[in-house]
Amino acid sequence: MRFSRFYFLQIIVMGILGVLALSLFHVQVLRGYYYRGLSIRNHIRLIPMESSRGRVFDCQGRLLATNRASYDVVAIPEDVTPEVYPRLAKLLGMKEKDVRQRMSAGREYPFAPAVIKPDIPRELAFTIEERKPELPGVTIRVSGIRYYPYAETASHVIGYIGAINAAEYEKSDRDRFGINSTVGRAGIEKYFDEDLRGWRGGEQIEVDARGRMIRVLSTRPPEPGRDLTLTLDLELQRRIMEMIKGQRASIAIMDLESEGLLAMASAPAYDPNIFVSPSASHQRLSVLTDVDSPMLDRSIGASYPPGSIFKLVTALAALDLGKITPQTRFFCNSKFKVGKSGRIARCWFESGHGSINLYEAIERSCNVYFYNVAMRLSPDEIAKYAHELGLGEPMKLEISRLTPGLIPDSAWKKARFRQPWYQGETLNMAIGQGYVLVTPLEILRLTAIIAKNGRFVEPHLVRREEDSVTNPDRVSIREQNLDVIKRAMLKVVESDYGTGQLARVDFDQLAAKTGTAQAPPKKAHSWMTGFFPYKEPKIAFVVFVERGGSGGITSARIAKQMLEVWRELHAPKTV
Amino acid sequence: MLRRLFKDFHPSLVFAVVGLAAIGMFFIYSASFHDPGHYEVKQIFWIAIGLMIMITVAYTGYRPFLSMAYLFYGFSIALLILVHLIGSTHLGAQRWLRFGPVVIQPSEFAKLGTLLALVNYLGTRNPLQGQFSVILGAVAIVAVPLVLIIKQPDLGTALLFIPMLAVVFFLWGIQWRFLIISALGVLAAMPFVWEMLKDYQKKRILVFLNPNLDPLGSGYTAVQSKIAVGSGELFGKGYLSGTQTQLHFVPEHHTDFIFCVIGEELGFIGSLLVLCLYAYLFHSIFAIMEHTTDIRAKLLSGGVLALFLGHVLINIGMTIGLMPIAGVPLPLISYGGSSFVMNSIALGLVLSVYKERSIF
Repeated sequence: MRFSRFYFLQIIVMGILGVLALSLFHVQVLRGYYYRGLSIRNHIRLIPMESSRGRVFDCQGRLLATNRASYDVVAIPEDVTPEVYPRLAKLLGMKEKDVRQRMSAGREYPFAPAVIKPDIPRELAFTIEERKPELPGVTIRVSGIRYYPYAETASHVIGYIGAINAAEYEKSDRDRFGINSTVGRAGIEKYFDEDLRGWRGGEQIEVDARGRMIRVLSTRPPEPGRDLTLTLDLELQRRIMEMIKGQRASIAIMDLESEGLLAMASAPAYDPNIFVSPSASHQRLSVLTDVDSPMLDRSIGASYPPGSIFKLVTALAALDLGKITPQTRFFCNSKFKVGKSGRIARCWFESGHGSINLYEAIERSCNVYFYNVAMRLSPDEIAKYAHELGLGEPMKLEISRLTPGLIPDSAWKKARFRQPWYQGETLNMAIGQGYVLVTPLEILRLTAIIAKNGRFVEPHLVRREEDSVTNPDRVSIREQNLDVIKRAMLKVVESDYGTGQLARVDFDQLAAKTGTAQAPPKKAHSWMTGFFPYKEPKIAFVVFVERGGSGGITSARIAKQMLEVWRELHAPKTV
Repeated sequence: MLRRLFKDFHPSLVFAVVGLAAIGMFFIYSASFHDPGHYEVKQIFWIAIGLMIMITVAYTGYRPFLSMAYLFYGFSIALLILVHLIGSTHLGAQRWLRFGPVVIQPSEFAKLGTLLALVNYLGTRNPLQGQFSVILGAVAIVAVPLVLIIKQPDLGTALLFIPMLAVVFFLWGIQWRFLIISALGVLAAMPFVWEMLKDYQKKRILVFLNPNLDPLGSGYTAVQSKIAVGSGELFGKGYLSGTQTQLHFVPEHHTDFIFCVIGEELGFIGSLLVLCLYAYLFHSIFAIMEHTTDIRAKLLSGGVLALFLGHVLINIGMTIGLMPIAGVPLPLISYGGSSFVMNSIALGLVLSVYKERSIF
């Protein structure tokens, strides 16, 4: 009995050791690879180093977007003692509860610093540095933050950046994006995000259980993003923004030689810095909810009826199709009977223009003349020429979210309203009313094409090295017809009957066309587009004032100021 | 003289002891060479003291110890009470007594004192002449220090009394029915023990049952020690190169968690080496037990073996999640004077059984 008990005990003892051996085999050999991985993750840590974002310059080398130092208050919660909370809260003007909340917010790994307050003023950062002995665990971290020195001046062109969101981060390249990375959200910042971004670097460091660095295992320095130079002239842009301040308006100026935009202004604008600074959330909210939509770029993001400016298109279509000659005359008694319905369409000039030819019709912007022209054209013919001249066509401008205008035709009408096209609608279309919608930049492109005698133009914002290589494509409109239009546009400003005489400048000849687009129930939209000087044009421009009233008054006055500024800044100094 | 020494001292047992102590010394160095304590030097001192004590005890023989068993028992109970009154608190538990420069852990002495009293009590009673009252007496002998140690609280050490009692009962010749009743009794006592536990101990046990309960709190040590042992894989990361222990992810790595250092730096090969040395030690004790006819000597050796096995099982088991985290040293390997000296005395007693085998 006792003998067998003794052996029984031996078996149990060796069995227990055997179980231990098998368990160790399981943990160390069968699962060893898994635990080896966990131990590496435990003690090796990747500290990402963000690349500095490329800067954006204007054509004269002035900084439009750059990076400045941001002083962030960070704390390693494990090192913070309880008396730090009230002191820090007092210094930062925060509630103690909020400081605690920031301290316990989610972090990537233990002993990672938590951001208590980002981007504090420099003086406050120095104060905290000085008082460091009484604030254990708290440090000031200097990081790069985007800065737009000229705030509102070119906000729609440059755009802004924002923090990456979780979904974007998930599918992004870790070499380029981190959890705290910023991404271009609008304008150049968005379109050229890839170039401006650069490549992140990082340090692989070994840490102990307290998270203290033991040594650096490997380093890869970050590569800064590429700088960009725009075609914009900051000074011109700034002066133009001043002209349209307080209005809902847009002005764009193109250099006809390079086809680059010298200015692209939209008012009201916003300060892109508020999207960078985390503390400006109330400003962001007010910008986003403002009834005047300061976020909207009126030169490319919205389309409006072009009004009389569209008469240029109608005239070109009729000329090129041989429906009229420049000398074709129609009589304007201010009234025009539409088709069989007998409805009366009116000219804006109540006493009528009398018998006029095409030059005079454009010069005085006579509606009745163009109603008569429209009687000889189909809507599809007008639409074809509008598209040929770039209206309603996509643009290759380096800004995302371009909204093309709308050029209606009979097929569109059928698809949209399930109705045939009525002739009365052709009359409306011929004078740029009805369904026709354009963006100011489309009008600028149209004017530039006319100014360049039919050479196709594509406006751009980033300066190109191969500027001299101009687009060889031409629009299929005879040059002589374009010449007629150019001469008519000259008369709009220079003739004493012209609708655009208020834009006349004394130093050279301007060719332009005004537009007053009816948009009931409120005031009309005011337009003017043109090129300057008439001989050997250097620039093309468009002025648009939303609800600005008469094009010949509101826009023409702005155009005149704008030309004077342009001359001051750009024209060769001739005494 | 040397031959005499070998004749007197069971060579394989001594080999196992020296082997384990040497491993302990090397890994105490690995675990603490960054720290200023010079623990490996202190441990060499304790090993030397321990071996001398072992030889002394072996020459003294186990009989005088057994005849003074109740005195040892009473003394260790007194120390346990003293520790409640004036003991120093460390890591939330009152376990240590400080006498000038010497810090002792009374629960270490209580293990041996209780074993001696138990063996003396049972060894003088015939299992064939009515067991019930004898068993109650033996349980009472164990219960007093057990409750005092649970109160400290030191659940790990307290747990070690149970296999010790079971093995001694078993070898004494307890009837199966009483063994089963005792086992049921232990189970029935569990809820009461649970009530006596401090919150952190309850949490440890809950976390042991489900390690994901609290991975950064009390589960942290359990997870990190398992990562340490597991990441050693087959051959280990190399001596002095364990990242888990060298970088302090595992706490207490020169005392209770020394097996993490061995497992991480020598891998499964090292773990197996340690287990084999323990197996060799136990095999030697069994061999010694086989050659004695003195029931008290047999019970004493069996109790010592049960104590050692309990330590090994709990200590290694807790590093790989097989057991809850408990403050139990790895015998002969972990740093610590009290533990090494008591183990030496216990093994000295076993050696004396071997030495006196010729008495009959």
